[in-house]
Amino acid sequence: MKNLTDILGSLFLILLGIGAIIGAIGLRVGTPTEPQPGFFPFLSGAIIVILSSIIFVQGWLGRSKRRIGLGEIKRPAMLIAVLAAFVAVLEPLGYVLASPFLIAVVLRIMGIKSWRALLVTSLVLSIGTYLLFDWLLGITLPAGILTRFGL
Amino acid sequence: MDFLTNLGNGFSIALNPWNLIFAALGAVIGTAIGVLPGLGPPATVALLLPLTYKMDPTAAIIMLAGIFYGAMYGGSTTSILLNIPGEAASVVTCLDGYKMARQGRAGPALGISAMGSFIAGTISIFGLSLVAPTLASFALKFGPPEYFSLILLGLMMAVYLSEESIVKGLVMGGLGLLLGTVGIDPVLGATRFTFGLSRLTDGFDFVVVAMGLFGISEVLINLEAPEVRDIFKTALKRLLPTLEDWRRCWASVVRGSLLGFFIGVLPGGGAIISSFVSYAVEKRVSKHPEQFGKGAIEGVAAPESANNAASTSSFIPLLTLGIPGNATIAMIFVALMIHGIRPGPLLIQEHPNLFWGVVASMYIGNLMLLGLNLPLIGFWVRLLRVPYHFLAVVVVTICLIGAYSVKNSAFDVGMMVIFGVLGYFMRKGGFPPAPLILSMILGPILERSLQQSLISSGGEVSIFFEKPISAALLSVAAFLMLTPIFKRLWKRNALTNSP
Repeated sequence: MKNLTDILGSLFLILLGIGAIIGAIGLRVGTPTEPQPGFFPFLSGAIIVILSSIIFVQGWLGRSKRRIGLGEIKRPAMLIAVLAAFVAVLEPLGYVLASPFLIAVVLRIMGIKSWRALLVTSLVLSIGTYLLFDWLLGITLPAGILTRFGL
Repeated sequence: MDFLTNLGNGFSIALNPWNLIFAALGAVIGTAIGVLPGLGPPATVALLLPLTYKMDPTAAIIMLAGIFYGAMYGGSTTSILLNIPGEAASVVTCLDGYKMARQGRAGPALGISAMGSFIAGTISIFGLSLVAPTLASFALKFGPPEYFSLILLGLMMAVYLSEESIVKGLVMGGLGLLLGTVGIDPVLGATRFTFGLSRLTDGFDFVVVAMGLFGISEVLINLEAPEVRDIFKTALKRLLPTLEDWRRCWASVVRGSLLGFFIGVLPGGGAIISSFVSYAVEKRVSKHPEQFGKGAIEGVAAPESANNAASTSSFIPLLTLGIPGNATIAMIFVALMIHGIRPGPLLIQEHPNLFWGVVASMYIGNLMLLGLNLPLIGFWVRLLRVPYHFLAVVVVTICLIGAYSVKNSAFDVGMMVIFGVLGYFMRKGGFPPAPLILSMILGPILERSLQQSLISSGGEVSIFFEKPISAALLSVAAFLMLTPIFKRLWKRNALTNSP
């Protein structure tokens, strides 16, 4: 039986390795006596391509020991999307405005349904972390649009 | 009497009130994350790194080290009471620990874990303070070819000793080397693989990568299968093992401690592997191996002693050779670099107060942990009632804040999310994350020593085989990589020869 995760994973790595080798040639590889900036990336890329090909062949022949299906992908995908959205709005909106939404949505993905629990946890946690990190520990968090109101 | 003067000096530093507070803080945080499944020592140390920027370096390392060995104490609690390992180094403790709990002997199991850890920790710290200075002065003779071979061996060991497939581990090592080349070339100063992004000229930030690989990806994986926790309800009447228990397992504690110490010293070795090896050894030397897996106290005592000894002794390659052997030590390597301290053979000479202060704090920290774990066990068990979703959301929030705080930019937060997704797919595919982070950190040093060696030898690769130390290190590395192939051939021969 073919091992799908190994095939997909190794294909991705092979492409990445080839990309690295092309990039390394662009940087000039040089010779062992006169190594150029591309020398080491070329070696790393070659290692990745050669070893990933072994994984690819083993996966194709179904020889690898571990066999894992793709599994449930919906909730992790939702969390990734939420995190990406958070990154996009963090600086414009500011931490204090963006984080309660993030926390509430993450808890909702994890199966918390009570609106009161979502509201209380997200507000307490975001204000709490803001006070702890920004005020107490001196880590500046983005203020965002709240600065317009002089906060 | 140098040794005693140094250690005395170390104690005067470690007993400074602030350092005591940070050692206690490390011990408490370490126990907590050890008890809680789903957050391991590498992720925790990465999460707390940004907080140490403004701290005194000695206090910072004292705290981070405390988290590492503290987690070894806490990890057994969850294994014994829940049959879920609190962290990876306590996986084998589940086998006999949980069985003991079911037989109503949770108390002695927890007791022997804590006391075994304490004895192992003490032995290992003593070994560390004795071995490290000697090893460091020996390593001073190392030139670029020796360093190249040593780092290569360290990376190979990390791959070999991880439980996953060796090929996958090596690919991750290669990927780490490649990711380590992003930014300004350490030898010639050319800009590599930044894709025109000025934020990448310094390369990827290790803190950001580690938080993604160990923190975010862990949460993503746990989202797939909501974990069911079933705390084994038992009266924890007596925690102290009986005399009979001690008679059965004192030798296991000593064997576990020594084995753990030696495995931790190996470049690439660490707490996780030491617990597996020591369990296997105990089973083999035992007079009644059939009791293993059915609640044998030796099966708890040995791995719990070994993992604590190894977590302490894995500081040796870091502090003497500048080579981190596992992911947590790699984060402490980064912490040292952030404070402008170069881990390597000169560290003990240049920063004696840091070295001896941290060593002395380990004695104190282990004593604190014994006090924290035995009488307060009820408190830690109650911590397990904190629902996972709450822990996960706290981890996500702290990861986001931590990544932002590195350079005050949302770009790093995005990078961390990308590495979190990468780590998630790596875990699903059975690709181990530790070789990636290790080779990413060691890559630039490896590249520099490779180029310096090649330039000095006029491009002759044979330089690595002509220098005796380098040749010895490389042959060990080659041997490690070839053993699985030999094993397979041998098995095949055995199969064809048998009728």
